[in-house]
Amino acid sequence: MKVELMHDVCQGHARCQERCPEVFGTDEVEGKCVILQPDVPPELEHKARLGVKNCPEGALVITSG
Amino acid sequence: MSTHRYFPPAPEHVPAALIHEFDIYRFSPGVNDPLEQWGNLLASDAPRIFYTHHNGGHWVFLDYEDVREGFRNDALFSTFQTPIPPIEPYPVMQPQGVDPPEHKKFRSLLAPLFTPVAVEKMRLELQQRSNALLDAFVDRGHCEFGRDFASLLPTGMFLYLMGMPEDRLMEFVHLAEVFMRSNDDAERATNIQQIYTVIGEYLAWRSTRLGEDLGSVLVKARDENGQPYDQQDVLNCGFLLFVAGLDTVTSTMTFIWRHLARNHAARRALTAIIDDREKLSVAVDELLRMHAVPNIYRRVKKDMVYRGITMRENDRVVLPVSVANRNESVFENADTIDLQREINNHLTFGAGPHRCVGSHLAKTEVTIALQEWLRRIPEFGVLADAEILGHMGPTLGFNRLPLSWTPAR
Repeated sequence: MKVELMHDVCQGHARCQERCPEVFGTDEVEGKCVILQPDVPPELEHKARLGVKNCPEGALVITSG
Repeated sequence: MSTHRYFPPAPEHVPAALIHEFDIYRFSPGVNDPLEQWGNLLASDAPRIFYTHHNGGHWVFLDYEDVREGFRNDALFSTFQTPIPPIEPYPVMQPQGVDPPEHKKFRSLLAPLFTPVAVEKMRLELQQRSNALLDAFVDRGHCEFGRDFASLLPTGMFLYLMGMPEDRLMEFVHLAEVFMRSNDDAERATNIQQIYTVIGEYLAWRSTRLGEDLGSVLVKARDENGQPYDQQDVLNCGFLLFVAGLDTVTSTMTFIWRHLARNHAARRALTAIIDDREKLSVAVDELLRMHAVPNIYRRVKKDMVYRGITMRENDRVVLPVSVANRNESVFENADTIDLQREINNHLTFGAGPHRCVGSHLAKTEVTIALQEWLRRIPEFGVLADAEILGHMGPTLGFNRLPLSWTPAR
């Protein structure tokens, strides 16, 4: 599974990081999402999906898998 | 400078069918819970976008998608000069009161101080402060939650972040409360002046002893020409910092503790996950969804037709977050508090370019307060026969929440 971020849409809610800190980090300037593992390992897929779906801005996309 | 540039027009463009009786500052007879007052609109015959004549006249958006649009679509909905009732001129809070791209000037200054990484470093301080507050009443077996805990934690933290002396704590608590809760124009005007005076005196004092605190960041700010930021803007940013994160957090916590005081199962469920950071985060988000205190104001930028409704330039719009968060098409069993809710795109901290920059600090304050409180007072209830007084306005809240418990031996 691959995840991508639309950086301009991200507003730094950080719910992605709260749901799946292994895949989603946050930067120290705006608190916006930083994708730590764009290729999500299978054992993290469920949590990563929750991270994507819990973005109130819809800034995260699953591009395959 | 001409006045009345941002006053709403007369409501001649509003069809009678869209008019609904609602005063955002008052309760209906027999109601004293502001969440209930707003929630009743969902069951009423109010149109999902309605207009009320009260407070200078304004629209109210009840649907999640429209509230979200109000937050995100700054091309249609401005945050500049939005007070309800309309007052002109109104202080331009920085960055909250200006539209993109101008908002970036102060947003970029504040954002690094409130990122998740920055807030992580505040956890120990919050734990220590929570416990110090608890020490004062844990053995007493009762407290007034707002006065003894919920007003003191965020305000104390604010003083700490600004490097201000703690002896001004009660003064600031009172100023913040009046700002958010007063219904009296004269009292509000005086209060605004008092807050400006405090902020101005603080910034002048801070300029003589710069450090790494929040106030120093404002004073040290330089534009691309190396010039200090406009002094009124800096004052207005200080003003926003003062009012935005104090009474809001207090009211949020008061609602949450009221729920827990009445709900043994919720207390047990939280206590069971109290050290599981990820599960607790999900639970706190659900508590935040169902206890959202802000009503956010916007102003229509240009004449337009929105969802088939004619709106005129300068029409005011109220975005009641508590109502949006209970939308049945977005949240399954929306009126049920599900502490394990998997998908929870609540709008408690807003959305779009003005997403509450203090959201991580606010959520961390609530989370740590819950952890420390439940460790030491796992069982508690509302003090019998206590009258809980709520308030309406730009934020929802309670003025008193007396709690009681059996002290540990």
